[in-house]
Amino acid sequence: MTDPGQPIHDVSLLLSGANQHLACGADIDELLEQAADGYATQFTSHQRDCLYCQAALGEFARVWEPVRSLAAEQVAVPAALKSAVASQIRKLVADVWYTLQLNDGGAIRVAARVVARIAREAASGVAGVRVAFGRSTHSRMAGLVERATLRHRHPNAAVGVLGRTAVVDLAIAVQYGDQADAVARAVQQRAIAELRSRVGLQDVTVNVTVDDVIT
Amino acid sequence: MGSDADDDYLVRRAQEGYLDAYSDLVDRHGQLAYRVALRLLGNHQDAEDVAQEALVTAWQQLPGFRADSSFPTWLYQIVTRRALNRITRSRITQSMDLLGDVSDASAGPGQQTERNLTIDAVTDAVIALPPPQRVAIVLRHFEGLPLAEIADITGSTVPAVRSHLFRGRRTLSKTLVEWR
Repeated sequence: MTDPGQPIHDVSLLLSGANQHLACGADIDELLEQAADGYATQFTSHQRDCLYCQAALGEFARVWEPVRSLAAEQVAVPAALKSAVASQIRKLVADVWYTLQLNDGGAIRVAARVVARIAREAASGVAGVRVAFGRSTHSRMAGLVERATLRHRHPNAAVGVLGRTAVVDLAIAVQYGDQADAVARAVQQRAIAELRSRVGLQDVTVNVTVDDVIT
Repeated sequence: MGSDADDDYLVRRAQEGYLDAYSDLVDRHGQLAYRVALRLLGNHQDAEDVAQEALVTAWQQLPGFRADSSFPTWLYQIVTRRALNRITRSRITQSMDLLGDVSDASAGPGQQTERNLTIDAVTDAVIALPPPQRVAIVLRHFEGLPLAEIADITGSTVPAVRSHLFRGRRTLSKTLVEWR
């Protein structure tokens, strides 16, 4: 218990383990919590008339000001973090599918994830599409993708690419009020056109799933 | 694209193998992972490593994520565990460098030096806390999370979190009083 005759405390003494309450009976840890949470000047009815509490809250607020200031600082994320995460995940999913075009100069390969990205971007540009994702190969999907690639079509395929053929899955969320099937058809046509023109894929199947509506 | 979608939607798509959906989650919550790691570990290199490990681990464990908690809460769990593992392994006690070379152009050289000293003092005080108190202080006073969520993240109880906070606040305050 603190000295009842000294409302302005030695804050170190106040914080020592021996003290749990002020002379007025207020709990020191609760006052410290109040100050640390930024409410040092929002007095309770007791605190409005208590010099002990007001002095302690004032001191605690000063002590915690640098902590609160630091907590409010923005922390910049390293630019390389996202690409490093993406790179590791690509290794994990064994995303090894490529388009392959052979010519006199050699071979040109385009990764399946690039095909998926192009399809996604194409879908994103269609009116009525709020969100679009193109699925790249996932390790557990590899078998399906392989079959899809060989048969050129598979209803559950992700992105299967081989040579100049591709099967792409697109998941989209559409704007509420738009006709979902019409938007999906437009997405399908645009993705196919983009993949033909930008990657040179001749046989492209694009499966579109409208799986959400956003208002 | 993807900014319109909520976390639940992105998580479902990512669970189905849409890497772009997970990439959007990383865009949205990568800062959380890095920020918490930085505040718990105190240096940028370790924080970047732990944030990266946590985000990759989250991808690997995503099929088992049942959305009993929000994605950020789940990510807090993963980052915190990873950071604690690293603390346990390396017992990092070097000076914290929470903000690195961030400088305030509006502050003069004297003010900047004083600010850096203050940052160092606070960060040293935080990193000197025992790990359970450090986690509670960082999640409560740097991340602004409610006690129940901190208990959820740490697999603890609200009274236990409150106890760690009480002790952590006292220790931190005493250190800062001595520094002033």
